[in-house]
Amino acid sequence: MKIVAVLLAVLLIAGCGISRLSSRQLERVAKDWSLSIRASQVIPVYPLTEDLQPGDVFLVQTPVEDQIRVYRDRGFLPLENQLTRLSVAGYPAFYSQWPGVDGAGAVAPPRLWQFPHGAEAGDSDFARAPLVAFPSYSFAVSRSGGLNVALPVQGVPIGLNLLDAASATGTITMKDAYTYGLPAQVLQQALEEWVAGNGAYVRQFAPPVPAAQDSKGAKPFFLRVVNRVYLVKTVDVSLLANRSGGGGADVGAGKAVELLNLGTEKETTRRFDEVNAIISKANHGVADAVAGELPGGSVKVAMATSRTISLVETFARPLVVGYLAFDFPILAGGRIGPPVATFSQLENRPQATGVPIQYTGCDPNCRVLRTWSKADPANKVALEKWLERFGGSIAIADFLTGDKADLRQRARETLIVQP
Amino acid sequence: MALQSPSPQKGVPRSDVGQVADAMLMDDRVKWLAVVFEAKGPVEDQFTVTPYIADPTVV
Repeated sequence: MKIVAVLLAVLLIAGCGISRLSSRQLERVAKDWSLSIRASQVIPVYPLTEDLQPGDVFLVQTPVEDQIRVYRDRGFLPLENQLTRLSVAGYPAFYSQWPGVDGAGAVAPPRLWQFPHGAEAGDSDFARAPLVAFPSYSFAVSRSGGLNVALPVQGVPIGLNLLDAASATGTITMKDAYTYGLPAQVLQQALEEWVAGNGAYVRQFAPPVPAAQDSKGAKPFFLRVVNRVYLVKTVDVSLLANRSGGGGADVGAGKAVELLNLGTEKETTRRFDEVNAIISKANHGVADAVAGELPGGSVKVAMATSRTISLVETFARPLVVGYLAFDFPILAGGRIGPPVATFSQLENRPQATGVPIQYTGCDPNCRVLRTWSKADPANKVALEKWLERFGGSIAIADFLTGDKADLRQRARETLIVQP
Repeated sequence: MALQSPSPQKGVPRSDVGQVADAMLMDDRVKWLAVVFEAKGPVEDQFTVTPYIADPTVV
């Protein structure tokens, strides 16, 4: 009974410690978690949430360079300034013949997996969702790092406390992981329709027409559109204590690890049941203390020795741990530019901008149009609009010196007033 | 629908590299350019000019 009381106290202390933690400690733990997710070529979500899906549109207010700095410093990008959730109808075509998705009148993902029994409360069923596998992640934890409330997986602090260890090394394995998404083309079309219907709102974020002496103009804002999400239902946590006895004054009593020094098989089962019952009971207190961080779920001890412990954490429903997205620049007049992959941009990866074309030289029309477009920023805007309408939206550089002699002739006749 | 990003251009004579680069930089998204020697041309050397929207030297 004494041991039970000690363990309960340990778990509740973990939940009550939030007020003592500095924001710096919290951010450091968030970064460690996020770096693990980023290793799988996915942009991390922190805290974990199930309310993120393809078609979610965010307004990105900071320049790309600043975003890269924030991303590197904090490990993740805060999901703020959500503008809308696009209503996309591309799932049946993209998931052709995928069970449950392409049927007539089928409910779009993720609802058909989140709530397979309709609006009535019921268990989620992601059995038919596309699977994905994440590698296991190794990490080192220390109680002094404030990890017990900041990590989105509560099995780690619980395991750390059960081991009565000041520090430990461990691994996290994300099991029961799923993914679903939509192609960028479908989302771009939906986004353009949304922008067309909300032009006044989008235009307020458009860069002003640059002055003649400011050839680069203002940095554009972006619309970030999520096109794929990654969800996890179950997380396995294994911890190896570096040394025990770190709990000291925090715990206030003997070593909780004694609970897990096992004897006979019958005794093993009994103690595991006992520990899991305690964790289940204590979790309510922890969850209340850090509302928003731990959206439901349960933690159970799967294996334990005197220095190691393995726990299985199961969320009430799969939660999004990461996503992929595209950024669409907001151009002059509220138009949107072509998409750029957010992950490549954040990771500062080189992005060549197209297939090489043959240089054909600068003919007389090229020279005239080049001089004219650089003479006044308004001329450049006019040329861009003309190319959008009549030139297949090719880039100005491709237009000037690529194999587009006829197009240049038409543009010169149309845009430049003949003397 | 906005304009596409500029494509790399190959076979650019040395004396025209500057003008091609200037045209590519009219797109504000382009932050970096790679000028790579391609071949000796009949009159002057030719280069491939490749625009990038992120630093290509960082991997």
